[in-house]
Amino acid sequence: MINRVLYGYEMKNSGKLLLIIAAVLSLYVCVIVSMFDPELMTTLDSFVEVMPELMAAVGMRAGATTLLGFLISYLYGFLLLVFPMVYTILRSNALAAKYVDQGSMAVLLAAPVKRSTIAATQLWVLISGIAILLVYVTGLEILVSHLLFPGELDIPGLLNINAGLVCLHLFIGGVCFLFSCAFSETKYALAFGAGIPVVMFVLQMLANAGEKARALRYVTFFTLFQPDGILAGEAYAFAGAGVLLLVGIALYLAAIAIFCRKNLSL
Amino acid sequence: MSVIKIADLTRDYGNGKGIFQISFRVEEGEIFGFLGPNGAGKTTTIRHLMGFLRPQSGKCRIAHLDCWKERDRIQEFLGYIPGEMNFFEDMTGWEFLNFCARYRGLREPSREKELMDRFEVDPRGKIRKMSKGMRQKLGIVTAFSHDPQVLILDEPTSGLDPLMQNRFVELLREEKQRGKTILLSSHMFEEVERTCDRVGIIREGRLATVDTIDTLRKRHMRTYTVTLDNPKLARAFARDFGGSASGNKARVTAKQSLESIFLHYYGGKRHD
Repeated sequence: MINRVLYGYEMKNSGKLLLIIAAVLSLYVCVIVSMFDPELMTTLDSFVEVMPELMAAVGMRAGATTLLGFLISYLYGFLLLVFPMVYTILRSNALAAKYVDQGSMAVLLAAPVKRSTIAATQLWVLISGIAILLVYVTGLEILVSHLLFPGELDIPGLLNINAGLVCLHLFIGGVCFLFSCAFSETKYALAFGAGIPVVMFVLQMLANAGEKARALRYVTFFTLFQPDGILAGEAYAFAGAGVLLLVGIALYLAAIAIFCRKNLSL
Repeated sequence: MSVIKIADLTRDYGNGKGIFQISFRVEEGEIFGFLGPNGAGKTTTIRHLMGFLRPQSGKCRIAHLDCWKERDRIQEFLGYIPGEMNFFEDMTGWEFLNFCARYRGLREPSREKELMDRFEVDPRGKIRKMSKGMRQKLGIVTAFSHDPQVLILDEPTSGLDPLMQNRFVELLREEKQRGKTILLSSHMFEEVERTCDRVGIIREGRLATVDTIDTLRKRHMRTYTVTLDNPKLARAFARDFGGSASGNKARVTAKQSLESIFLHYYGGKRHD
Protein backbone atom coordinates (compact mmCIF):
# COMPACT_ATOMS: atom_id res chain seq x y z
CA MET A 1 0.00 0.00 0.00
CA ILE A 2 1.29 3.40 -0.88
CA ASN A 3 -0.13 6.90 -0.46
CA ARG A 4 -0.56 8.44 -3.89
CA VAL A 5 -0.53 12.02 -2.68
CA LEU A 6 2.78 11.55 -0.88
CA TYR A 7 4.15 9.62 -3.85
CA GLY A 8 3.31 12.47 -6.20
CA TYR A 9 4.88 15.06 -3.94
CA GLU A 10 8.08 13.07 -3.52
CA MET A 11 8.42 12.23 -7.20
CA LYS A 12 8.25 15.95 -7.87
CA ASN A 13 11.03 16.40 -5.30
CA SER A 14 13.09 13.73 -7.08
CA GLY A 15 12.62 15.47 -10.41
CA LYS A 16 15.41 18.00 -10.32
CA LEU A 17 18.06 15.56 -9.14
CA LEU A 18 16.95 12.95 -11.67
CA LEU A 19 17.15 15.55 -14.41
CA ILE A 20 20.68 16.59 -13.50
CA ILE A 21 21.94 13.02 -13.26
CA ALA A 22 20.18 12.01 -16.46
CA ALA A 23 21.77 15.00 -18.21
CA VAL A 24 25.27 14.09 -17.02
CA LEU A 25 24.78 10.45 -17.98
CA SER A 26 23.39 11.49 -21.39
CA LEU A 27 26.55 13.42 -22.05
CA TYR A 28 28.78 10.49 -21.14
CA VAL A 29 26.70 7.89 -23.00
CA CYS A 30 26.74 9.98 -26.17
CA VAL A 31 30.44 10.76 -25.94
CA ILE A 32 31.47 7.20 -25.14
CA VAL A 33 29.29 5.55 -27.79
CA SER A 34 30.61 8.00 -30.34
CA MET A 35 34.16 7.16 -29.29
CA PHE A 36 33.66 3.59 -30.46
CA ASP A 37 35.88 3.83 -33.47
CA PRO A 38 38.67 1.39 -34.23
CA GLU A 39 41.12 4.27 -34.65
CA LEU A 40 40.18 6.10 -31.47
CA MET A 41 40.06 2.75 -29.69
CA THR A 42 43.78 2.53 -30.21
CA THR A 43 44.10 5.92 -28.52
CA LEU A 44 42.16 4.71 -25.48
CA ASP A 45 44.12 1.47 -25.51
CA SER A 46 47.28 3.53 -25.52
CA PHE A 47 46.01 5.33 -22.39
CA VAL A 48 45.59 1.92 -20.86
CA GLU A 49 49.15 1.06 -21.82
CA VAL A 50 50.56 4.25 -20.36
CA MET A 51 48.59 4.17 -17.08
CA PRO A 52 47.08 0.74 -16.68
CA GLU A 53 46.37 1.04 -12.95
CA LEU A 54 44.42 4.26 -13.22
CA MET A 55 42.37 3.05 -16.16
CA ALA A 56 41.73 -0.31 -14.51
CA ALA A 57 40.66 1.38 -11.31
CA VAL A 58 37.73 2.96 -13.13
CA GLY A 59 37.00 -0.35 -14.82
CA MET A 60 38.48 0.43 -18.22
CA ARG A 61 40.48 -2.22 -20.01
CA ALA A 62 42.05 -2.49 -23.40
CA GLY A 63 41.00 -4.76 -26.19
CA ALA A 64 37.21 -4.51 -26.23
CA THR A 65 36.32 -5.45 -29.74
CA THR A 66 32.52 -5.21 -29.87
CA LEU A 67 30.48 -2.08 -29.20
CA LEU A 68 28.91 -3.68 -26.13
CA GLY A 69 32.28 -4.82 -24.83
CA PHE A 70 33.47 -1.27 -25.34
CA LEU A 71 30.50 0.13 -23.39
CA ILE A 72 31.12 -2.36 -20.58
CA SER A 73 34.69 -1.18 -20.29
CA TYR A 74 34.02 2.50 -20.32
CA LEU A 75 30.54 2.94 -18.83
CA TYR A 76 29.88 0.05 -16.46
CA GLY A 77 32.99 0.28 -14.33
CA PHE A 78 32.49 3.81 -13.08
CA LEU A 79 29.94 6.15 -14.61
CA LEU A 80 26.87 3.95 -14.43
CA LEU A 81 27.82 2.88 -10.94
CA VAL A 82 28.60 6.26 -9.43
CA PHE A 83 25.94 8.58 -10.81
CA PRO A 84 22.86 6.50 -9.98
CA MET A 85 24.49 5.89 -6.60
CA VAL A 86 24.62 9.64 -5.98
CA TYR A 87 20.88 9.80 -6.64
CA THR A 88 20.23 6.87 -4.32
CA ILE A 89 22.30 8.27 -1.47
CA LEU A 90 20.81 11.77 -1.62
CA ARG A 91 17.20 10.70 -2.01
CA SER A 92 17.33 7.88 0.54
CA ASN A 93 18.45 10.32 3.15
CA ALA A 94 15.87 12.93 2.18
CA LEU A 95 12.99 10.43 2.08
CA ALA A 96 13.12 9.31 5.70
CA ALA A 97 15.93 10.41 8.02
CA LYS A 98 15.72 14.08 7.03
CA TYR A 99 12.01 14.33 7.85
CA VAL A 100 12.55 12.70 11.20
CA ASP A 101 15.55 14.91 11.92
CA GLN A 102 13.70 18.10 10.97
CA GLY A 103 10.47 17.03 12.62
CA SER A 104 8.26 17.30 9.56
CA MET A 105 7.64 13.54 9.79
CA ALA A 106 5.05 14.56 12.42
CA VAL A 107 2.90 15.98 9.62
CA LEU A 108 2.91 12.63 7.86
CA LEU A 109 2.19 10.67 11.04
CA ALA A 110 -0.62 12.96 12.24
CA ALA A 111 -2.98 11.49 9.67
CA PRO A 112 -4.74 8.15 9.30
CA VAL A 113 -1.87 6.69 7.29
CA LYS A 114 0.05 3.68 8.59
CA ARG A 115 3.77 3.99 9.14
CA SER A 116 4.25 1.00 6.85
CA THR A 117 2.38 2.88 4.12
CA ILE A 118 4.59 5.95 4.58
CA ALA A 119 7.79 3.88 4.46
CA ALA A 120 6.59 1.85 1.48
CA THR A 121 5.64 5.03 -0.38
CA GLN A 122 9.06 6.59 0.21
CA LEU A 123 10.73 3.36 -0.84
CA TRP A 124 8.65 3.23 -3.97
CA VAL A 125 9.75 6.77 -4.79
CA LEU A 126 13.39 5.72 -4.42
CA ILE A 127 12.94 2.63 -6.60
CA SER A 128 10.98 4.59 -9.21
CA GLY A 129 13.88 7.01 -9.56
CA ILE A 130 16.40 4.19 -10.00
CA ALA A 131 14.14 2.56 -12.57
CA ILE A 132 13.59 5.83 -14.45
CA LEU A 133 17.34 6.53 -14.61
CA LEU A 134 18.31 3.07 -15.81
CA VAL A 135 15.45 2.68 -18.28
CA TYR A 136 16.40 6.07 -19.67
CA VAL A 137 20.07 5.11 -19.94
CA THR A 138 19.17 1.83 -21.64
CA GLY A 139 16.99 3.61 -24.16
CA LEU A 140 19.66 6.20 -24.80
CA GLU A 141 22.38 3.57 -25.27
CA ILE A 142 20.24 1.76 -27.81
CA LEU A 143 19.23 4.96 -29.59
CA VAL A 144 22.70 6.50 -29.83
CA SER A 145 24.26 3.17 -30.84
CA HIS A 146 21.60 2.74 -33.50
CA LEU A 147 22.14 6.23 -34.87
CA LEU A 148 25.93 6.05 -34.95
CA PHE A 149 26.57 2.35 -35.52
CA PRO A 150 23.40 0.69 -36.87
CA GLY A 151 23.28 -3.00 -36.16
CA GLU A 152 26.49 -3.02 -34.12
CA LEU A 153 24.94 -3.27 -30.63
CA ASP A 154 24.07 -6.61 -29.05
CA ILE A 155 20.71 -5.42 -27.66
CA PRO A 156 19.69 -8.60 -25.75
CA GLY A 157 23.14 -8.61 -24.17
CA LEU A 158 22.75 -4.95 -23.18
CA LEU A 159 19.33 -5.62 -21.64
CA ASN A 160 20.75 -8.48 -19.58
CA ILE A 161 23.62 -6.35 -18.34
CA ASN A 162 21.32 -3.47 -17.46
CA ALA A 163 19.00 -5.83 -15.60
CA GLY A 164 22.05 -6.81 -13.56
CA LEU A 165 22.86 -3.14 -13.06
CA VAL A 166 19.31 -2.55 -11.78
CA CYS A 167 19.86 -5.35 -9.24
CA LEU A 168 23.08 -3.68 -8.07
CA HIS A 169 21.40 -0.29 -7.65
CA LEU A 170 18.38 -1.78 -5.92
CA PHE A 171 20.81 -3.34 -3.47
CA ILE A 172 22.58 0.00 -2.89
CA GLY A 173 19.15 1.56 -2.43
CA GLY A 174 18.42 -1.05 0.23
CA VAL A 175 21.57 -0.18 2.16
CA CYS A 176 20.90 3.58 2.01
CA PHE A 177 17.20 3.32 2.82
CA LEU A 178 17.78 0.96 5.72
CA PHE A 179 20.07 3.44 7.44
CA SER A 180 17.77 6.32 6.57
CA CYS A 181 14.93 4.52 8.37
CA ALA A 182 17.07 3.28 11.24
CA PHE A 183 18.60 6.59 12.27
CA SER A 184 16.75 9.66 13.42
CA GLU A 185 19.56 12.04 12.56
CA THR A 186 20.74 12.68 9.04
CA LYS A 187 24.39 12.73 10.06
CA TYR A 188 24.28 9.08 11.11
CA ALA A 189 22.00 8.06 8.26
CA LEU A 190 24.47 9.60 5.82
CA ALA A 191 27.57 8.31 7.63
CA PHE A 192 26.37 4.73 7.16
CA GLY A 193 24.03 5.00 4.19
CA ALA A 194 26.54 6.91 2.08
CA GLY A 195 29.70 5.78 3.85
CA ILE A 196 29.30 2.06 3.25
CA PRO A 197 28.62 2.22 -0.53
CA VAL A 198 31.35 4.82 -1.07
CA VAL A 199 33.97 2.89 0.92
CA MET A 200 32.98 -0.28 -0.92
CA PHE A 201 33.36 1.50 -4.21
CA VAL A 202 36.82 2.80 -3.33
CA LEU A 203 37.86 -0.71 -2.30
CA GLN A 204 36.52 -1.98 -5.61
CA MET A 205 38.65 0.57 -7.46
CA LEU A 206 41.72 -0.48 -5.47
CA ALA A 207 40.97 -4.13 -6.16
CA ASN A 208 40.72 -3.42 -9.88
CA ALA A 209 43.89 -1.40 -9.94
CA GLY A 210 46.53 -3.60 -8.43
CA GLU A 211 47.38 -7.26 -8.14
CA LYS A 212 48.25 -6.79 -4.47
CA ALA A 213 44.83 -5.40 -3.60
CA ARG A 214 43.08 -8.06 -5.64
CA ALA A 215 41.81 -9.83 -2.53
CA LEU A 216 39.76 -6.73 -1.70
CA ARG A 217 37.30 -7.71 -4.41
CA TYR A 218 35.95 -10.34 -2.04
CA VAL A 219 35.06 -7.60 0.44
CA THR A 220 32.87 -5.43 -1.76
CA PHE A 221 29.38 -6.08 -3.02
CA PHE A 222 30.28 -4.45 -6.34
CA THR A 223 32.04 -7.72 -7.21
CA LEU A 224 28.62 -9.34 -7.41
CA PHE A 225 27.90 -7.28 -10.51
CA GLN A 226 29.91 -8.80 -13.38
CA PRO A 227 28.85 -7.36 -16.73
CA ASP A 228 31.40 -9.42 -18.65
CA GLY A 229 30.17 -12.56 -16.94
CA ILE A 230 26.52 -11.71 -17.68
CA LEU A 231 27.42 -11.09 -21.32
CA ALA A 232 29.22 -14.44 -21.50
CA GLY A 233 26.18 -16.13 -19.94
CA GLU A 234 28.17 -17.29 -16.90
CA ALA A 235 26.02 -18.77 -14.15
CA TYR A 236 28.03 -17.08 -11.37
CA ALA A 237 27.31 -13.65 -12.83
CA PHE A 238 23.56 -14.26 -12.87
CA ALA A 239 23.76 -15.70 -9.37
CA GLY A 240 25.59 -12.54 -8.24
CA ALA A 241 22.84 -10.32 -9.63
CA GLY A 242 20.24 -12.56 -8.03
CA VAL A 243 21.94 -12.27 -4.65
CA LEU A 244 22.03 -8.48 -4.97
CA LEU A 245 18.33 -8.38 -5.77
CA LEU A 246 17.28 -10.73 -2.97
CA VAL A 247 19.42 -9.09 -0.31
CA GLY A 248 18.19 -5.73 -1.57
CA ILE A 249 14.57 -6.79 -1.07
CA ALA A 250 15.41 -8.14 2.38
CA LEU A 251 16.96 -4.77 3.27
CA TYR A 252 13.81 -2.98 2.10
CA LEU A 253 11.60 -5.17 4.25
CA ALA A 254 13.91 -4.68 7.22
CA ALA A 255 13.87 -0.90 6.69
CA ILE A 256 10.06 -0.78 6.70
CA ALA A 257 9.87 -3.02 9.77
CA ILE A 258 12.37 -0.84 11.65
CA PHE A 259 10.51 2.33 10.73
CA CYS A 260 7.22 0.87 11.99
CA ARG A 261 8.72 -0.08 15.36
CA LYS A 262 11.00 2.82 16.14
CA ASN A 263 10.39 5.52 18.70
CA LEU A 264 10.16 8.93 17.13
CA SER A 265 10.79 12.05 19.18
CA LEU A 266 8.86 14.40 16.94
CA MET B 1 -17.02 8.36 29.36
CA SER B 2 -13.27 8.81 29.31
CA VAL B 3 -12.00 9.50 25.83
CA ILE B 4 -8.30 9.76 26.68
CA LYS B 5 -6.97 7.36 29.28
CA ILE B 6 -3.39 7.35 30.45
CA ALA B 7 -2.42 4.78 33.07
CA ASP B 8 0.99 4.53 34.75
CA LEU B 9 2.71 5.81 31.66
CA THR B 10 6.47 5.75 32.12
CA ARG B 11 9.40 6.57 29.90
CA ASP B 12 12.69 6.88 31.69
CA TYR B 13 15.40 8.71 29.79
CA GLY B 14 17.84 8.35 32.67
CA ASN B 15 19.27 11.11 34.88
CA GLY B 16 15.81 11.69 36.31
CA LYS B 17 14.54 12.80 32.90
CA GLY B 18 11.42 11.38 31.38
CA ILE B 19 7.91 10.80 32.64
CA PHE B 20 7.02 8.54 35.54
CA GLN B 21 3.70 6.84 36.31
CA ILE B 22 1.59 9.47 34.66
CA SER B 23 -2.11 8.65 35.02
CA PHE B 24 -5.09 10.78 34.11
CA ARG B 25 -8.24 10.69 32.06
CA VAL B 26 -9.93 13.21 29.85
CA GLU B 27 -13.69 12.90 29.71
CA GLU B 28 -15.80 13.31 26.64
CA GLY B 29 -16.64 16.93 25.91
CA GLU B 30 -14.09 18.25 28.34
CA ILE B 31 -11.15 20.58 27.95
CA PHE B 32 -8.30 19.25 30.01
CA GLY B 33 -5.40 21.56 30.72
CA PHE B 34 -1.99 19.96 30.89
CA LEU B 35 0.10 22.46 32.70
CA GLY B 36 3.78 22.43 33.42
CA PRO B 37 7.01 24.29 32.84
CA ASN B 38 9.25 23.61 29.86
CA GLY B 39 10.89 20.23 30.08
CA ALA B 40 8.38 18.83 32.60
CA GLY B 41 7.27 16.03 30.26
CA LYS B 42 4.18 17.46 28.55
CA THR B 43 5.42 16.84 25.04
CA THR B 44 6.78 13.39 25.94
CA THR B 45 3.34 12.42 27.22
CA ILE B 46 1.73 13.76 24.06
CA ARG B 47 4.18 11.83 21.87
CA HIS B 48 2.86 8.68 23.47
CA LEU B 49 -0.73 9.70 22.75
CA MET B 50 0.21 10.33 19.13
CA GLY B 51 1.85 6.90 18.80
CA PHE B 52 5.28 8.40 18.12
CA LEU B 53 6.72 6.74 21.22
CA ARG B 54 6.00 3.30 22.59
CA PRO B 55 5.36 3.26 26.37
CA GLN B 56 8.15 1.61 28.34
CA SER B 57 5.45 0.67 30.78
CA GLY B 58 1.88 1.71 31.33
CA LYS B 59 -0.82 2.30 28.78
CA CYS B 60 -2.50 5.05 26.89
CA ARG B 61 -5.71 4.81 24.96
CA ILE B 62 -7.88 7.17 23.00
CA ALA B 63 -11.50 6.11 22.49
CA HIS B 64 -10.55 2.57 23.56
CA LEU B 65 -7.87 2.31 20.89
CA ASP B 66 -4.27 1.62 21.86
CA CYS B 67 -2.16 4.70 21.10
CA TRP B 68 0.79 2.65 19.83
CA LYS B 69 -0.79 -0.31 18.07
CA GLU B 70 -3.83 1.41 16.61
CA ARG B 71 -2.34 4.84 16.04
CA ASP B 72 -3.46 5.14 12.43
CA ARG B 73 -7.09 4.46 13.37
CA ILE B 74 -6.96 7.06 16.13
CA GLN B 75 -5.72 9.63 13.65
CA GLU B 76 -8.98 9.37 11.73
CA PHE B 77 -10.75 11.44 14.38
CA LEU B 78 -7.85 13.28 15.96
CA GLY B 79 -6.52 16.77 15.38
CA TYR B 80 -3.00 17.62 16.49
CA ILE B 81 -1.06 20.83 16.90
CA PRO B 82 2.60 19.96 17.46
CA GLY B 83 4.74 21.86 19.93
CA GLU B 84 7.06 22.81 17.14
CA MET B 85 5.82 23.58 13.69
CA ASN B 86 7.99 21.71 11.23
CA PHE B 87 6.44 21.64 7.81
CA PHE B 88 7.70 21.00 4.34
CA GLU B 89 9.57 24.24 4.00
CA ASP B 90 9.62 24.37 0.23
CA MET B 91 5.83 24.29 -0.04
CA THR B 92 3.69 27.39 -0.15
CA GLY B 93 0.95 27.68 2.46
CA TRP B 94 -1.63 26.73 -0.16
CA GLU B 95 0.33 23.72 -1.29
CA PHE B 96 0.71 22.61 2.30
CA LEU B 97 -3.00 22.90 3.15
CA ASN B 98 -3.85 21.14 -0.06
CA PHE B 99 -1.31 18.43 0.56
CA CYS B 100 -2.52 17.79 4.10
CA ALA B 101 -6.15 17.50 3.04
CA ARG B 102 -5.46 15.18 0.12
CA TYR B 103 -2.89 13.15 2.08
CA ARG B 104 -5.57 12.52 4.70
CA GLY B 105 -7.94 11.49 1.95
CA LEU B 106 -10.32 14.41 2.53
CA ARG B 107 -12.45 15.33 -0.44
CA GLU B 108 -13.33 18.63 1.06
CA PRO B 109 -11.62 20.00 4.16
CA SER B 110 -14.93 21.16 5.55
CA ARG B 111 -13.74 23.93 7.85
CA GLU B 112 -10.63 25.14 6.07
CA LYS B 113 -12.06 28.33 4.63
CA GLU B 114 -13.82 29.36 7.83
CA LEU B 115 -10.70 28.77 9.90
CA MET B 116 -8.49 30.67 7.50
CA ASP B 117 -10.81 33.65 7.68
CA ARG B 118 -11.03 33.44 11.43
CA PHE B 119 -7.27 33.46 11.92
CA GLU B 120 -6.50 35.72 8.97
CA VAL B 121 -4.21 33.16 7.40
CA ASP B 122 -2.36 34.29 4.32
CA PRO B 123 -1.29 31.06 2.65
CA ARG B 124 0.55 32.66 -0.23
CA GLY B 125 4.30 32.41 -0.22
CA LYS B 126 6.71 29.71 0.87
CA ILE B 127 6.42 28.34 4.38
CA ARG B 128 10.16 28.89 4.80
CA LYS B 129 9.56 32.63 4.70
CA MET B 130 6.55 32.71 7.00
CA SER B 131 6.62 34.27 10.44
CA LYS B 132 6.31 32.09 13.51
CA GLY B 133 2.75 33.30 14.05
CA MET B 134 1.69 32.51 10.50
CA ARG B 135 3.17 29.00 10.74
CA GLN B 136 1.30 28.50 13.99
CA LYS B 137 -1.96 29.59 12.35
CA LEU B 138 -1.32 27.22 9.49
CA GLY B 139 -0.86 24.45 12.05
CA ILE B 140 -4.15 25.39 13.70
CA VAL B 141 -6.00 25.29 10.39
CA THR B 142 -4.63 21.83 9.51
CA ALA B 143 -5.42 20.49 12.99
CA PHE B 144 -9.07 21.60 12.89
CA SER B 145 -9.95 21.45 9.21
CA HIS B 146 -11.10 17.83 9.17
CA ASP B 147 -13.38 18.60 12.12
CA PRO B 148 -11.87 15.99 14.48
CA GLN B 149 -13.66 14.69 17.55
CA VAL B 150 -10.55 14.70 19.75
CA LEU B 151 -7.92 17.43 19.82
CA ILE B 152 -4.40 17.23 21.18
CA LEU B 153 -2.90 20.68 21.30
CA ASP B 154 0.70 21.16 22.37
CA GLU B 155 1.19 24.80 23.34
CA PRO B 156 -1.11 25.87 20.53
CA THR B 157 -0.96 29.62 21.06
CA SER B 158 2.80 30.04 21.07
CA GLY B 159 3.72 32.74 18.62
CA LEU B 160 0.20 34.15 18.37
CA ASP B 161 -0.53 37.76 19.24
CA PRO B 162 -3.10 38.47 22.01
CA LEU B 163 -5.90 39.09 19.50
CA MET B 164 -5.32 35.74 17.85
CA GLN B 165 -4.93 34.08 21.23
CA ASN B 166 -8.41 35.36 22.09
CA ARG B 167 -9.81 34.01 18.86
CA PHE B 168 -8.21 30.69 19.63
CA VAL B 169 -9.81 30.61 23.07
CA GLU B 170 -13.18 31.36 21.43
CA LEU B 171 -12.61 28.52 19.00
CA LEU B 172 -11.86 26.12 21.85
CA ARG B 173 -15.04 27.12 23.68
CA GLU B 174 -17.09 26.58 20.54
CA GLU B 175 -15.50 23.20 19.97
CA LYS B 176 -16.30 22.23 23.54
CA GLN B 177 -19.92 23.26 22.92
CA ARG B 178 -19.89 20.94 19.94
CA GLY B 179 -18.86 18.06 22.20
CA LYS B 180 -15.19 17.85 21.33
CA THR B 181 -12.69 16.38 23.76
CA ILE B 182 -9.60 18.53 24.08
CA LEU B 183 -6.22 18.06 25.72
CA LEU B 184 -4.47 21.40 25.90
CA SER B 185 -0.88 21.55 27.01
CA SER B 186 0.42 24.89 28.12
CA HIS B 187 2.86 26.65 30.34
CA MET B 188 0.62 29.70 30.46
CA PHE B 189 -1.75 30.07 33.35
CA GLU B 190 -4.38 32.38 31.88
CA GLU B 191 -4.83 30.26 28.80
CA VAL B 192 -5.68 27.21 30.87
CA GLU B 193 -7.73 29.19 33.36
CA ARG B 194 -9.85 30.69 30.60
CA THR B 195 -10.62 27.49 28.79
CA CYS B 196 -10.19 24.34 30.82
CA ASP B 197 -12.54 22.39 33.05
CA ARG B 198 -9.85 20.40 34.76
CA VAL B 199 -6.12 20.74 35.04
CA GLY B 200 -3.29 18.28 35.48
CA ILE B 201 -0.09 19.83 36.70
CA ILE B 202 3.08 18.03 35.73
CA ARG B 203 6.42 18.69 37.27
CA GLU B 204 9.73 16.93 36.60
CA GLY B 205 7.97 14.09 34.84
CA ARG B 206 5.48 13.42 37.61
CA LEU B 207 1.88 14.48 37.85
CA ALA B 208 1.66 16.83 40.84
CA THR B 209 -2.12 17.15 40.91
CA VAL B 210 -5.26 16.70 38.85
CA ASP B 211 -8.23 18.81 39.79
CA THR B 212 -10.96 21.04 38.51
CA ILE B 213 -10.08 24.64 38.03
CA ASP B 214 -12.68 25.58 40.67
CA THR B 215 -11.34 23.17 43.25
CA LEU B 216 -7.85 24.38 42.65
CA ARG B 217 -9.05 27.92 43.16
CA LYS B 218 -11.11 27.08 46.23
CA ARG B 219 -8.30 25.19 47.84
CA HIS B 220 -6.24 28.30 47.53
CA MET B 221 -8.91 30.78 48.52
CA ARG B 222 -8.70 32.78 51.73
CA THR B 223 -11.65 34.38 53.49
CA TYR B 224 -11.25 37.42 55.71
CA THR B 225 -13.68 39.02 58.08
CA VAL B 226 -13.06 42.70 58.49
CA THR B 227 -14.62 44.84 61.21
CA LEU B 228 -15.26 48.41 60.21
CA ASP B 229 -16.40 51.49 62.07
CA ASN B 230 -20.03 51.34 61.02
CA PRO B 231 -22.42 49.24 58.86
CA LYS B 232 -22.36 51.81 56.09
CA LEU B 233 -18.62 51.49 55.69
CA ALA B 234 -18.90 47.72 55.96
CA ARG B 235 -21.42 47.66 53.09
CA ALA B 236 -19.20 49.87 50.97
CA PHE B 237 -16.21 47.68 51.70
CA ALA B 238 -18.15 44.53 50.80
CA ARG B 239 -19.28 46.14 47.55
CA ASP B 240 -15.78 47.25 46.55
CA PHE B 241 -14.14 43.91 47.26
CA GLY B 242 -16.97 41.62 46.18
CA GLY B 243 -17.83 40.28 49.65
CA SER B 244 -20.84 40.33 51.92
CA ALA B 245 -21.65 42.58 54.86
CA SER B 246 -23.52 42.04 58.13
CA GLY B 247 -23.57 44.77 60.73
CA ASN B 248 -20.24 46.50 60.83
CA LYS B 249 -18.45 43.35 59.63
CA ALA B 250 -17.60 42.45 56.04
CA ARG B 251 -16.49 39.09 54.68
CA VAL B 252 -14.30 39.07 51.64
CA THR B 253 -12.48 36.28 49.88
CA ALA B 254 -9.24 36.51 47.97
CA LYS B 255 -8.76 34.10 45.12
CA GLN B 256 -5.23 33.29 44.28
CA SER B 257 -4.47 33.37 40.62
CA LEU B 258 -3.74 30.08 38.98
CA GLU B 259 -0.21 31.30 38.67
CA SER B 260 0.36 31.36 42.36
CA ILE B 261 -1.33 27.97 42.68
CA PHE B 262 1.00 26.76 40.04
CA LEU B 263 3.98 28.13 41.89
CA HIS B 264 2.71 26.43 45.03
CA TYR B 265 3.01 23.04 43.37
CA TYR B 266 6.45 23.90 42.16
CA GLY B 267 7.74 24.56 45.61
CA GLY B 268 7.73 28.29 45.11
CA LYS B 269 10.32 28.11 42.38
CA ARG B 270 9.53 29.37 38.99
CA HIS B 271 10.92 27.23 36.18
CA ASP B 272 10.50 29.13 32.98
